Amino acid sequence: MILSRRWRLSHLSLYRRLMIWLLCPLALLVAIMLLQAWLASREASDRAFDRLLDAASLSIAEQVRWQQSRLWMDLPPSALEMLATDAEERVFYALYDAQGHFVTGNRSLPSLPAVANDQMSYGDVMSHGMSLRLGVRRSRLEGWDRSDRFEVRVAQTREGRQALANQLFLASFINIVIIAGLAMVVVLLSARFALEPLTRLRRAIRQRNPRTLAPLELALPRELAELRQALNELLARMRRVRANQERFIGDASHQLRTPLAGLSARAELALRQTDPAIWRAGLVTLHGTATKTARLAGQLLSLTRLNNPEATPAKHPVNLAALAQRCVRESFSRHHRRGVDLGVEIPDRPVMVSATEWQLEEALNNLIENASLYGADQITVQVIDAPARLTVVDNGPGIPESQRLLVLRPFHRGQEAGDGSGLGLAIVDSIARAHDIRLNLHPANPDHSERPGLCISLTFPADAR
Amino acid sequence: MMTLQRIRRVLGILLALSLMTTTQAHARTLHFAADSESPQPLTIYGVLDPPQVRPLLADFHSRHPDIDIKYHNLETLTLHARVLQERNAPRADVLMSPAMPWQYELANEGLSAPLESSAAAAWPSWARWRQELFGFTFEPIVMVYRRDLAQRLPPPASHADLLNLLQQHADTLDRRVVTYDPRRSGAGYTYAIEDARISARYWDLVEALGESHSALETTTGAMLEGLSEGRYWIGYNLIGSYVQDYVAAHPELVMVVPQDYALVLQRLVMVSRNAPHPATAQRFVDYLLSAPAQRLLASRTTLGAVHPDIEGDGTAADLRNRLGDAIRPVQIGPGLLATMDTLKRQTLLEQWQQAFDNRPTHADGPLADPSPLPDASTE
Repeated sequence: MILSRRWRLSHLSLYRRLMIWLLCPLALLVAIMLLQAWLASREASDRAFDRLLDAASLSIAEQVRWQQSRLWMDLPPSALEMLATDAEERVFYALYDAQGHFVTGNRSLPSLPAVANDQMSYGDVMSHGMSLRLGVRRSRLEGWDRSDRFEVRVAQTREGRQALANQLFLASFINIVIIAGLAMVVVLLSARFALEPLTRLRRAIRQRNPRTLAPLELALPRELAELRQALNELLARMRRVRANQERFIGDASHQLRTPLAGLSARAELALRQTDPAIWRAGLVTLHGTATKTARLAGQLLSLTRLNNPEATPAKHPVNLAALAQRCVRESFSRHHRRGVDLGVEIPDRPVMVSATEWQLEEALNNLIENASLYGADQITVQVIDAPARLTVVDNGPGIPESQRLLVLRPFHRGQEAGDGSGLGLAIVDSIARAHDIRLNLHPANPDHSERPGLCISLTFPADAR
Repeated sequence: MMTLQRIRRVLGILLALSLMTTTQAHARTLHFAADSESPQPLTIYGVLDPPQVRPLLADFHSRHPDIDIKYHNLETLTLHARVLQERNAPRADVLMSPAMPWQYELANEGLSAPLESSAAAAWPSWARWRQELFGFTFEPIVMVYRRDLAQRLPPPASHADLLNLLQQHADTLDRRVVTYDPRRSGAGYTYAIEDARISARYWDLVEALGESHSALETTTGAMLEGLSEGRYWIGYNLIGSYVQDYVAAHPELVMVVPQDYALVLQRLVMVSRNAPHPATAQRFVDYLLSAPAQRLLASRTTLGAVHPDIEGDGTAADLRNRLGDAIRPVQIGPGLLATMDTLKRQTLLEQWQQAFDNRPTHADGPLADPSPLPDASTE
């Protein structure tokens, strides 16, 4: 758990990510260079010291002759001394005849496979627990009568080679370390430099007044300019949202102030009279206005609740047909008293959608109320299945095509004559948005020029069931 | 390898004959018991007679009384053979031998252990090999003549003098000069090979020695006896450390360190690889390389001190001051391996024999089959 968190790269800062992605390959590269340098210095020192084996074996081979019916050799001490450098290596030599028999020497030494076009071959061997560098020279007697082949094998311990290789490697090591150090400094600096605009952006955002929604004006590289643009777009949306909210608050206060002022004026007028009949008429008027104002306040409240992005109420399967039936039943008598013909058409089987039930009820009530307020006397609620759709059809004056989008905005009333608050359709629209419902407005009876009516349909998304 | 071992065995017997200067039997071992509760054992294989080694061991013992010292005095090649025989389970901690090529061969084989100490690191580089083999004595190879010779002939002070004497007074000196027989003595062989490396005129000297029918001995002791008895007048290539003692007791003899060049023999000491008691072994070798031990070598023995800080009689520094560049210590290096080569040995001995017998050397023409190597059984 801890390990997986530590290794999750998304937790790392950009700077660290850059460091990892630049320094890891750099470290790998340095490791490869060091390995290569080590091999190269070993090879170079072997090459240098192999010349000694070459010279010593040559000097010995020159002394080999045929004497007393056998290979003979007057070993020159200088040949052996040549092999012992400052490192005082141990030195071994041996002379072998053509059949591989030991003729003379201070240790039996193995042979090596011949190298083409070369009298000498070299190899690393272990002998009596010592690591030796062996050189084998293949030669032949150069006389009138005999030309026997023979092998001179010389070997030395590796101290001198090791010392030289270490010295060469140390020099390369220092170079590589210096280069790697410089590269690291460059990487660190360039990473800081490249990330500097990000720091500026962060600082610019942090230093802003929390109340300003003005766009960011900051010179940034292309990649960050896109981010700045996205931020500015977000800010612009927020500005629009805030403007809408401010207008809504202004409208709402205005809407509330008018009936309250009316209430106050009516009450004052009634108080000047002494006739209780007039008082009563005043109180009736006051009651009507207060009811209307209460309904307005309720609608404002629900609209605010609907528009609150923090609150997304859970959705459950809802039977649309039952819901429509219930709403019509509850408001039937009220509308019937006003002389409105309210009807419902639902299919036999339940129509299930995933939705917040109270919000759908609110929407449907608002649609019915709206239709009746704007002068319809015949309202039909229809529910159909596949796709699930809720339709409210009335025979009112309808909404001209140019107004159809505007009526969805709060406090916009299609007709000044109406009795509504101008919030009903705005609430329906908010609910429709929250449910991904397609809201459609069109005339119910387009042929009728005076009362074309209005048909508002809410089409549920196909996967909302 | 069989031939190698056979020849080593032969050489062993030869060398055993040659390097012992005192012919009388001497104690084979010396023992210094520790006077402590937990003695630290130390076993030494050496080729150094008790009179020379006893003061050294006694001094070491007085400084380190907790060490129980067993010193085995061996003959040169017995030591060499025994070390090779015990190579996988060595019994000796320290090996000391004047047979430089043999000792070097053991070290080259990896039978020595490095000594990590400040004394070892500071030891003069010409007297050591790696940190493993140390030359701790400094013994010139000298000439000896009888005092009464000086009344008849100018005594030789150098190799060139000796050659002149032999060429001009061959009749007078007939059968009066003595030297090592390189065919029968390992030491004589070693000096011959070194002499031949240093000067091509060595072969003239051998010819002149043959011309005057010089006597050939196998030990310095035998030569000194002959000189003392008056059989010989001049001795050539004697080991200085033995001569010094002997001359002190025999005033009729005079020791001469040759002035043109003087070979110098060094006793080589090393710690055995896988020594059973490496700590005490290192302490002992460290002691040998220390100033007190070297001062003791210079003052109470005739072996000569190497330590660069020790001056006065019997030191390397003193000899160098007197003779300068003429001092030629046998180099401790792989050149010594050539000395050990069997064919090399046969070649040199043949050449020596031919020069001594005044027969044409192979340089003058192809050789007939030369006489075979002398075998120990014929001695």
